[in-house]
Amino acid sequence: MLPARRRSRVSHRARNRTVTARGPLAWLLLCWSVAACATAAQAQDLIARATAARDADNIPAALPLYRQAVREKPDWLEGWWFLGLFSYQSGQFADGERAFTEFTKLNAQAPAGWVFLGLCEYETGDYGGALQHLERGFAPGARLAPELEQVARFHRALLLTRAGSFDRARSELKPFVGRGIRDPVLIAGIGLNALEMPTVPQQIPASQRDLVEMAGKTACAWISGNSRQTEAGFRSLLSAYPTAPSVHYLYATYLLESRPEAMNAELQRELEVNPGNARARAVLALRLTLAGDVAAAVPLAAKAAADSPGMSLAQYAYGVVLTKRGAFSDAIQHLQAAVRIDPDILEYHTELATAYSDAGRYEDARSERQASIKLARESRGPG
Amino acid sequence: MGRASLAAAACIALAGAGYSAEPPAAKFTCATCHRAEAESQSKTAMGIGMELPPNQTLLRAHPKLTFERNGYTYTIERKGDRSTYTVSDSSGTLSLPIQYAFGVHSQTFVLEYEGGFYESMVSYYALLKGLDVTVGNGKIQPHNLVEAMGRKNSATEITACFGCHSSGAVHDGRLTLASLQPGLTCEHCHTGANPHMESLAAGKPGPVPTKLGAMNAEQTSQFCGQCHRTWEEIVKLRQFGEGNVRFQPYRLANSRCFSGDDPRIRCTACHNPHANPVPEAAAYDHNCLACHSRNAPPVAGHDVPRAKICPVAQANCVSCHMPKVKMPGGSALFSDHQIRIVHPGDPYPN
Repeated sequence: MLPARRRSRVSHRARNRTVTARGPLAWLLLCWSVAACATAAQAQDLIARATAARDADNIPAALPLYRQAVREKPDWLEGWWFLGLFSYQSGQFADGERAFTEFTKLNAQAPAGWVFLGLCEYETGDYGGALQHLERGFAPGARLAPELEQVARFHRALLLTRAGSFDRARSELKPFVGRGIRDPVLIAGIGLNALEMPTVPQQIPASQRDLVEMAGKTACAWISGNSRQTEAGFRSLLSAYPTAPSVHYLYATYLLESRPEAMNAELQRELEVNPGNARARAVLALRLTLAGDVAAAVPLAAKAAADSPGMSLAQYAYGVVLTKRGAFSDAIQHLQAAVRIDPDILEYHTELATAYSDAGRYEDARSERQASIKLARESRGPG
Repeated sequence: MGRASLAAAACIALAGAGYSAEPPAAKFTCATCHRAEAESQSKTAMGIGMELPPNQTLLRAHPKLTFERNGYTYTIERKGDRSTYTVSDSSGTLSLPIQYAFGVHSQTFVLEYEGGFYESMVSYYALLKGLDVTVGNGKIQPHNLVEAMGRKNSATEITACFGCHSSGAVHDGRLTLASLQPGLTCEHCHTGANPHMESLAAGKPGPVPTKLGAMNAEQTSQFCGQCHRTWEEIVKLRQFGEGNVRFQPYRLANSRCFSGDDPRIRCTACHNPHANPVPEAAAYDHNCLACHSRNAPPVAGHDVPRAKICPVAQANCVSCHMPKVKMPGGSALFSDHQIRIVHPGDPYPN
């Protein structure tokens, strides 16, 4: 490549020749060409300076240079990447969001670009976009640097809680607790998930912060296997917030492991203080079905499914109950709905396969069984 | 009068026949009315389920068994009417009495140590005529004699073991070994059989247990799968690979011809639960030909596509289409219930 000054001289000579030869149009073209060359030169200069600042670890100096450089050279992929990265690192999330939007337009195949776009959107409060783009960063076959993957998983889990996908979020959050991390945002995230509050830690109302923190710490103790701390945590939580939504439900799910015989009563208590808890109603229906009391389960599961058509667990529970009653056709509709809402939950697929089989839908059963086995192979096992 | 009440009346008549001064209930058993089933079932592998001392026939037949693994020596030795399970290494020896020998042809031992239950690290395998690592424990690298002795079972695991190999040992999900009876009694599968029998013994028409023969193929698989593992259970536990050949309901459900509402493919179409499985391949031909023949009769309400006719043979179908598969390690051999066309060199499908 020619040095900038020499390139400029060559351009002038060319302009003079072209003017005499081709008239006004050629003149305009030449102007554009000269400008382009000048711009290219300027861009190269900016790129060199931005790169030097980056190499010197001088982010405050590098940022404006990258900003100018991509303005001059909008197809500079690396420029958008570093502009986005440094914006994110320096807390300028809106700028980061713009940069990674441009980056992903130029290269939609780089999962890290989608992940950073999602992370910036999380910080600017565009939670819908953030979840969508973080999910894209985890597309099948995508590979991320381990550290970035952890950050992305954590934020995705918070966003899944906000979106009401509590089970998926829980399985993403658990490993962080297992590794001994006790960050306040993690505790709040676990607390929100445990209480099934569809929001993010940054948006917890002041009046609920203590409740969420208590629930988060108790759930962390539970996940860590510290039964003494868990029991103590539940005692405090139930005594401080006996009528708060989902507290009895959370305790009921804990009882499933330690004292299953006491679980149903705790679910009933949840429904007394929080009659709108479709999840508690659905779980109680499943428990009753398991115990063979399908007749008692039917109205509970039916109400849960009707009240919460978008809740996969409610649709699943009603599907299971209907299967037990032999109402296979209706059962299949609800199980299909559960699979549509949460396609990654293995139990929904296996139950649907069984319902197809029960109904004599031979080919559907077969393909659903294959889908279940595929999902089981691809997903992590229990625990 | 319906068939059920006629049967009840017949049973009441039998119960009230008054053979002696003993109360009728003492004489009245399931075998009083269901003699053939009750007598044959108690002699099956399911009916025996497990062996307690002193009636441990397999251990009596093999008074000394030894095995070595990972630097540990295992010895099972019979003295009098008791067998002892011993594991030793250079650091010492740990000996425990064998109270519970699970299984009939092959056996795994459940040992008690310091208040806990342990599945023995080694089992007796009929195929090997000796000891080998218990299925599922192959990857365990013990660090001491206790770990080498066996794998500690959780409460859930141990109740499942006793729940499937014995009767009366589990109540409300908890172990009640005082009332343990080896093997599966009638009540174990036919819930309500005991109250049914007791009321008939008292001369009253009692409740009739649910008729298991009314279950469709899917329900039967779920029912038998309570012990033989259901398809769902294997998928959820992600037990893939040749080791899952022993979970027949899982394998069967993956068969191309399995349809939940077709009675011709349910477990009991081929296997009489009151008798041991028949080893001769030809014994199952009529089950295969119930679908795979030109004369196969249609089944009411069932619309499975017409099954193909085998171009090779019309006999000994299972010898090709349900090949015997060795468990990893070669300790046991099972008929693969994933019924299929087997091509030489094909990998194990699952």
